[in-house]
Amino acid sequence: MLDLRVPSGVFFGLVGALLLAVSFTNPHAPMTDSNVDLYTGLAMLAFGGFLLLLAMRSRKA
Amino acid sequence: MTLTPVDYVILVLYFAFVIGIGWKLRKSATSASEFLTAGHHVPVWITSLAFLAANLGAQEVVGMAASGAKYGIMTAHFYWIGAVPAMLFIGVFMMPFYYGSKARSVPEYLKMRFDEKTRGLNAITFAVMTLFSSGISMYALAKMFNLVLGWNFNNSILLSGAIVLAYTYLGGLRSAIYNEVLQFFLIVLGFSPLAILSVMRAGGWSGIQHRLPDVMTHTWRYVGHANENPMGVEVFGLVAGLGFVLSFGYWCTDFLVVQRAMAADSMSAARRTPLLAAFPKMLMPFIVILPGIAALALTKMGSGYALPPKGASYDYDQALTTLMAQFYPSGLLGVGLTALMASFMSGMAGNVTAFNTVFTYDIYQGYIKPNAPDSHYLKVGRLTTIVGIALSIATAYLAAQFNDIMDFLQLVFGFVNAPLFATFLLGMFWKRATGHGAFAGLLSGTGAAALVHGLTAAEGKGAWIVQLHVFPSQMAQNFWIAIFAWTTCFLVTILVSLATAPHVEERLRGLVYGLTELPREEGVPWYKRPLPLAMVVIAALVVLNLIFL
Repeated sequence: MLDLRVPSGVFFGLVGALLLAVSFTNPHAPMTDSNVDLYTGLAMLAFGGFLLLLAMRSRKA
Repeated sequence: MTLTPVDYVILVLYFAFVIGIGWKLRKSATSASEFLTAGHHVPVWITSLAFLAANLGAQEVVGMAASGAKYGIMTAHFYWIGAVPAMLFIGVFMMPFYYGSKARSVPEYLKMRFDEKTRGLNAITFAVMTLFSSGISMYALAKMFNLVLGWNFNNSILLSGAIVLAYTYLGGLRSAIYNEVLQFFLIVLGFSPLAILSVMRAGGWSGIQHRLPDVMTHTWRYVGHANENPMGVEVFGLVAGLGFVLSFGYWCTDFLVVQRAMAADSMSAARRTPLLAAFPKMLMPFIVILPGIAALALTKMGSGYALPPKGASYDYDQALTTLMAQFYPSGLLGVGLTALMASFMSGMAGNVTAFNTVFTYDIYQGYIKPNAPDSHYLKVGRLTTIVGIALSIATAYLAAQFNDIMDFLQLVFGFVNAPLFATFLLGMFWKRATGHGAFAGLLSGTGAAALVHGLTAAEGKGAWIVQLHVFPSQMAQNFWIAIFAWTTCFLVTILVSLATAPHVEERLRGLVYGLTELPREEGVPWYKRPLPLAMVVIAALVVLNLIFL
């Protein structure tokens, strides 16, 4: 049976990486000065990595 | 709002993943029961998040931000009293009967517990209502994409319909449930930044409290009388109408959500499904309602952001999308729109899979072709997926053409749903309740709802018989219609049951309290037992309500 943590982890890892990549060149949104793409990208990478880690641990066990 | 290529890449990536999950699961959908009920072996963390996500449609996400801007934090009542207590009740008290009965659907439970006509009434009205609500939300989504992004109405409808079709056709209920979890994560990660950014910009919660009238930032302080709050509701109507009748009627009897819990891999997991879902449910207001409240505060403080005007007031329905346009740079904008698309798809797939199961088992197998081999019902289930989505699309166009008919139908659906919980409550906890009683109760409850609507008016609607009373708002009217419908159904079911012959007790074993061996939870750690889990939820709920009192 498919372990849902794997595709979810890969998906958020990819989207996170994509956000990170564009965060350096993107103009900011009108109402905020912070680099929102950067922070969200990092959060998504961390979340995706966390899901993959859980999936790997349960595969070993 | 303009999208850049990276936004489209994210959207397409999402489409690829949901279809990919369906493709991966296609081999598991080899029998009718696998396709339609996920074979009762989905892990509990997945069923809990799906329980939440199936209900979290795009209309809810957009509508809750709109209500936040219109009514303030009182909107959280739709979660804190309008959902969580009912979720605890079904997990602790009702699931032993649903899951233990081995019924494959809620209407099938009604057949086992009561009789064929009660099941038929529930199955047919449920099937029609799910199709319509799926079509109506499809229409709303396509209209919004058209307004915000200029996308073609027809293409939005066909594309979203085709993708939901692809993954539900391939993997059935399991695929819908797995995707709902991915969609749930995306909704949370895609909308949380908006809540954080907009609230921060408005000066945090204390800044919002400064800028808005007191009533917008308190949940309970202004419900003593209907004219004190913008919702126009008072505490009894709110607690009894929303918190009891409507909320329990939806969360404890609607097959759309119950189906997710029934897919769990054990009785214990089925009971924990709604309880575990209650934790994130409780926190959803911070993601979906707060941005709306912040939008109003930002408008008042002249921050450069303003809610679009509509007449003398604001176009609240655009709160979410206009905030996204102002706070999200390209990249995150793609994530936000994808999250919106995801919330729409989770709602639609929820409707379609519930429709499938009820149509195939309760209508087709029940009345059209009862004794066919399993492979036949698998074929019918798959075909029903296609037909269900085609009918949803047709409904979306109907909604686009005839707005009045849709309003009327939604009103009628409300009448049908209002009394439901009385039937289930008596069915599960009073063994003397009979099929004739249940059927008469449901019909008279629906009749009572229509009657109250005919005799009362609110915001210029209703009172088509004679006007005896005027409610301060349609919301208050809805709550009171529900209270009358429930009470009528409850009383009529009892009276008719006492006047008709009782069911043979042997037949009710496993279906009713007193004739069912309740699941034992000894030797299980406390965090896996329903009652302690429910206590933790209640404690957290009390704290939240005190903070925003």
